[in-house]
Order: sequence, then C-alpha cells, then structure tokens
Amino acid sequence: MASLAQEKRAPGAPSFLSGLKPGRASLIALAGLALVGAGPFVTDAYLTNTLIKAFFFGIAAITVDILWGYAGYLTFGQSVFFGIGAYSAGLVFTYQGFSGMSIALALGAAVGAAAILGFLAGWLSFYRGAAPFFASIISLVLPIAMSQLALSGGSFTGSSSGLTGFESFDFSMEEWFWIAGYSLMACGLLGWKLVNSDAGRILTSMRDNSNRCAYLGINTSAINTALLAACAIAASLAGFGYGSFSCVVAPELLGFSLGTEFIVWVALSGRGTLWGPLVGTVLFNVTSSYLSGSMPFMWQLLLGFSFVLVIILLPGGLIPLLARPFAVNKKSVPELVEARPGEKALPEKGWPHAIEMNRVYKKYGSLSVLRDITFHAESGELVGIIGPNGAGKTTLMRCLSDGGERTDGLVKIYGNDIERFPPEQCVRFGLGRKFQNANIFDSLTVAECLRLARSIKERPSFLEKKRTLALPPYVLDVLRLTDLDKKLPVPARDLSHGEQQALELAMVLALEPLVILLDEPTAGLTKAERTRIGKVLVSLARDHGLCCLLVEHDLDFVKEIATRVIVLHQGCIIMQDTVDRVVDSELVRSIYAGTDFYAGPGRKGLREGAA
Amino acid sequence: MNTALRLDQVSSGYGAAIVLRDISLEVGMDESIAIMGKNGMGKSTLLKTIMGYLPKKSGSVFLLGENISSWKPYRIARLGVGYAAQEHSIFADLSVYDNLSLGLKNLLYFKGRFDEILRLFPVFEDRLAQQAGTLSGGEQKMLLVARTLILHPKVIILDEITEGLQPSVIERLAAALVYERKRSGTSMLIIEQNIPFALKVADRYLIMKQGELIDRGNTGDPGAAASVLRHFQL
Repeated sequence: MASLAQEKRAPGAPSFLSGLKPGRASLIALAGLALVGAGPFVTDAYLTNTLIKAFFFGIAAITVDILWGYAGYLTFGQSVFFGIGAYSAGLVFTYQGFSGMSIALALGAAVGAAAILGFLAGWLSFYRGAAPFFASIISLVLPIAMSQLALSGGSFTGSSSGLTGFESFDFSMEEWFWIAGYSLMACGLLGWKLVNSDAGRILTSMRDNSNRCAYLGINTSAINTALLAACAIAASLAGFGYGSFSCVVAPELLGFSLGTEFIVWVALSGRGTLWGPLVGTVLFNVTSSYLSGSMPFMWQLLLGFSFVLVIILLPGGLIPLLARPFAVNKKSVPELVEARPGEKALPEKGWPHAIEMNRVYKKYGSLSVLRDITFHAESGELVGIIGPNGAGKTTLMRCLSDGGERTDGLVKIYGNDIERFPPEQCVRFGLGRKFQNANIFDSLTVAECLRLARSIKERPSFLEKKRTLALPPYVLDVLRLTDLDKKLPVPARDLSHGEQQALELAMVLALEPLVILLDEPTAGLTKAERTRIGKVLVSLARDHGLCCLLVEHDLDFVKEIATRVIVLHQGCIIMQDTVDRVVDSELVRSIYAGTDFYAGPGRKGLREGAA
Repeated sequence: MNTALRLDQVSSGYGAAIVLRDISLEVGMDESIAIMGKNGMGKSTLLKTIMGYLPKKSGSVFLLGENISSWKPYRIARLGVGYAAQEHSIFADLSVYDNLSLGLKNLLYFKGRFDEILRLFPVFEDRLAQQAGTLSGGEQKMLLVARTLILHPKVIILDEITEGLQPSVIERLAAALVYERKRSGTSMLIIEQNIPFALKVADRYLIMKQGELIDRGNTGDPGAAASVLRHFQL
C-alpha cells in the first residue's frame, strides 16, 4: 500500500521546474540552445557520435515517460516504433536508393506505419471493456512479434545482421549533432507544454480513475489511443533519425530489450518529470558507451543493481534528487471566479419527461436485480429513492447513466433514447452522476479535479495553465459551504472522507447537468452540512429546472428536500407518493425504517437531538 | 488493568502535515466512547494512527496493557482489536464466507457465530457463497461490521459504520453493540456522524476539531445531544 501510494505520488511531486518563472525557463532553454550549439566543437568525434545517438534515444524516452509517468501506461514496446522508423529509413534507402522521392517515401512509411500500429495497439489496449492488463500484454507481444518479423525477413531485412551501408543524408557530424540535439529539445519542450497544460491533467486523471472521467464526459479510450499513436509517431521519427545517421538498422532496435532499457532509463532518471528522462537518457548512454567498453559485463550488472536500488530507495529517480537544492516548491492556485452563464439549454414547457424509464429489467445471470421499472420524473423535481440495502437503488442509477447496463427496457433523458451508449455519451445528454463512494482523482488537487469536471463545458488548453477557474455559482456555494474553497491546492487523496464526497458533488454540478443522479450525496457529511447542501439542491431544482434523483437513507433529509418519493424493494417499485405519505406508511416502516429510532415511541428525544 | 486503550500525547499526520496534535484519551474496560466532529478534523486519522497504519510523530499508545506504539497493524489486530475502516475495505473477489471466516483462528466457531451475525443482518442468509464485490454498497458495509464482530474482539474500533445503512439496520446495529458490551464487556471506540446512534451506543463522547479534542461529556447527561450538535453548526 505504501509503495503504491509513493509510486502514484511521484508525478505530482513538486518538481524542479514546475514553479519556475517564465524568465528562468527561457534562461534554461537558452542555455540548452547554446550547449547544443557549442557541443560538436568541444567534444571529440567518439563522444559526438555517442551523443547524437543518445539524443535520438532521448526522444523515445520522453514518449515513454509521457505514456508511463503521466498516463500510467507501462509500455515495454516503445522500441517497436523506434525500430519501425529506423527500418523505414534502412529499407527504403537500400532498395529505392537515396533521393528526394525516397526520403519522402521513407518518412511517410515511418509516420504511417507507426501511426497505424500505434492506433491498433491503442485500440486493442483501451477499447471499451478491455481489461486493464491488456495494454501491458500487448506492449510485451509487439516487440517480440516485430523483431521476429525482422529476423525472418531473409535478405530483404537482412535478418539478424540487419541492413548496413545504405546511402543516407550527407550531413557533417556537426549538422547531425544539431539536428538531433534541437529535435530532442523541441520534443522535450512540446511534451513539457503538454503535460503541464490544463489538458495534460487529463492524462493523470485517466490513470487515477477512468470511470470518473467517463462520467465527466471524457472519452478515455479515444484519448488514450490518440496519445499512443502520437507517441508512436514521435518515437518512429526519432528512430528514422537514428537509422539515417548510423546507417545501421538491426532487429535489436525493434526488440524487447531496448524497450525495457527505455523503461530503465526513465525510472532511473525520474519518471513523471519529463526533463529527468531527457537529461538522464543522454547521461546514461554516454556513461554506458564508455564503461561498457572497459567493463562490458560489470556495466550491465551495475545498471541492473542500480535500477533495483533506485526503484526501492528513490522512487522519484536520480536526476530530480540532484536538482532538488534548486527546487522552487510553489504550486500555483487558480483564482475562483463565477462562470458566465453559457447558452445552456434550460428545460422548457412542453419538453418530454426529464427522465423516463419504461419496463427496465436488469439481470445478472438468473438473478433479477431490477424488474419492470417504469417511472418518469420532470424538470424541477427532486425525487427521493428509498429502499432497504440491496433493493437495487444503485443499479437503477447505473441503468440510467450507462446504456450498456440494462438487460431490457427503455431509458430516455429529455426524450433522448440512451440506447447502448457509454457513460461519456449519456453525460452529453445533460446527465450527471455522483457515486456512492467518493469517486474523484486521487493525485490531482481540488482545483485540478474541478477544472477537469469542466472540460466538456470549457475545453482545457493544451498549451497553458489558466490562472482562473470559472465555476457556476451553485458549485461555488457547495465549495464555500464545505470549506473546500480554502483547500484548492490540496491533493484530493489528502481530503477527509466527507470532503471527498463534497468534492465529487461539486465536480458533478460543475458539469451543469440537467438531470442529476445522486447516490447518497450527504453520506459522511455532518447534519449542518447536509441541510445547507439540501438547500443548494432545492434551489437548483427550483431556479434552474434541474431534475434530481436522490438515493438517501436519511429520511429527515429526504423529507426536507424531496418533492416525491419512490420506494424500491427487491428490485421493484412498490410505492410512489408524496414524502409524508411514504414516510408514514406502514409498509415503509415495516421493511425499511424500523420502529425505535425514527418512527417508534421513544423517538422523540432522539429526533429532537438530531434535528 | 482497567484501561483498554490509552493514548498519551499522540501526534501524527501525513508527510509533513500534522493532523493530530497531542491527543490523550483513555477508553476503560467495558467502556464505549464516541468521537464526533466535522469533516476533515482528524477523526479517521486518529483511528489509523492507533491501528498502526500511520506512523506516530510523537506520543505512545497502550492497548490492553501493551505499549503498541511501534507495532504493525497485524500485531495490533492479533491482540484482539476489531477495526472497521471507513473505506469499503472488504475482499471484493472473495465470497461472503471467506470474508467472514478469514480472521477466525478456528473454523469450529463459524457456525455458531454466524448465527449471531444472522440475527443482526438477516440479509446474509443463504448468501455465503456470493462474491462480496457483488453485494450492494450498504450490504458491503454490513459485511464489514459482521467481519469485525464475528471475531469477538476485546476492543472494537468503528469508523462511521452507519453510513449508507437503512434506518432499521442502524437501529438493530445499535442494539447489537449495546448487547455485545453487556455480554462480553467489549470496549469500543467509534466515530460517528449519526448523533442518535452515537449517543445510544456510547457512554462518553469527545468532540474533535482541527486535530484536538475540544469538548467532552457523558451521553447520559440531559442535553447531551444539544451540546454535541452545537459543535456541528457551520
């Protein structure tokens, strides 16, 4: 548990660069430019040669860090894309000769093949319903399959000795050094912009909790697949550079051990920091090329040992440790502002029912959890759903918010049939769902969680971090009521249970839903907080026409805010009526409320105490 | 030995953040204490610290006469502590039976004790083979409590167990805890938001705010409910 927490913490840890002022960042960039510019003149030919290769490897390592350190996708197969780029150069230049035409062809092959394979691997790993381990399995299978393919290509691919001595770009060593060096810098900068932008937080959020992402309307499988394809293209271009420079392409470039080496470099130098792997990969490659000459066996052993040691003792990696003395530990906190009311479609008279469920069934095998559920609810209504534990309340919510859930029947949101749509699609009909257990993004801060929740309303920027966070007034109310507005920079995992519940409620409301499903919204909150949250919900229904479905055990709370109550028992609706009639009914008392505490003799003292 | 649990100037927190400041408290044998307070005040942190899930920054904890300050959770549990955490920490992939029997030293006890559990939670009748993760949210909470009670612990530590339970079950649970104390003299430390439940189950209450205990009283006192409630006002 502890190691897991640590591992998850690594990317969010205050990093050396995250608090930099723009002035300092551009200073570092300038220094990098100068260093690469002067590089070939101060290093000898052997070192220059080594560095050029290391730069190309560095680009691949950056893509591994984006995938693993940020998006949480541990891939052993990034070498495949690197190798595809290298083989594109090797094969085309060997068989087509070297010309302007063949350069275009080789580049096209590098990008195209990597994109197709990356997309395919992404789709297989992340399609709806894919198990979490598919991704890693596929990343293991790919390099094995691809290097076999290269090995069995006979004289066409050069089999185990690969392709050598093809004609390539006629650049000098200095020019190669600058091309590789500046490509690495550009790639690092681009990646840096991406992961630190508001949109970049989506990567972390998908790793934390892809279920929550879906219910915020974020299509995780599409984003993951696109990311994988983009990283595949970047790695392939790096491989293209490597192959064209070295004029040697061998099956090792496609193989599993290079893929693993990428991971070792990234882990050793600081996963989830981006600049760590950038610097680290270059350093490791240089050290390796010197030491592997003088002690070929010891060096591998040493690398293996230090990998294990670093994983255990320094989960954050080596390079961030070296830079720690210069760290500026400051998290920027956005300022909360009220969102300008957009052109939100307010429900109008004559619209179809806000929620309509018609003869809905849900079966697990032979077990019927929901039977013949038929009801509708209107805009402006707060409908309480009560019933004994295990009556099917949460299942009902699930069937309303995920088209794939129900076994049979019809569900419509404002007249829109949800068919078999996934949650992220249902959310776009105006649906928001709060889960029974707080369902948030552990390693993101409160502010980042809220910003993500707004992403379908306000597309987060890929290039910048906004200084303000615009939220609808009622969300600001919830935050103020629960003091969360004072905890914006706190990581969500450090919040108490009740605060996490409140945060999730705020996130769901930030979607500006028209229909909201709340599964025990006040669980873990104090009585006073419940009352205030209840008032927010009532005003949402009254002033904004929200339709609210509420699963709740606190009958007093239901009484305070609900306009109508549905009683669920053993998967069937057994009663629909006004709150008072339901709460006072003999039926409800016998199956649900009990006698002593809330409804029986002796209740008075306790009730007054609680009210 | 007439103290079940004693905390001496305990401070703890997460990383550099201090959540609990110099907490001292005592739970006598056969005594039941409820800790109440608003969210984010450190209540769950206190229980996690007692159970050894969080390292203490200072202070010591004594349980049933032993100094357990630096003990690992499993050792503390073996002393005879039943702890039901707030998170749904059941074994979701195991059956109800496995969940309940895992901590028992001798399966011989199972049948008799399971019958006791059934009186409290009849929903588990005929459901021993069901996979625990497929239970509903409230049923999982019941399983969590049942798993604690079936061990017949000497000290019971419960973190908001009424959350998500239907009123009649809460009521039965309160009665069961009161009965359990009468029968076996179990000590209890509970955290609750449900004030009626807490007042019924506990002898004394403590109010926690910003990591410190700021008020206390007997649940039997007239006006106890009102004075607890005062601390919950916003």
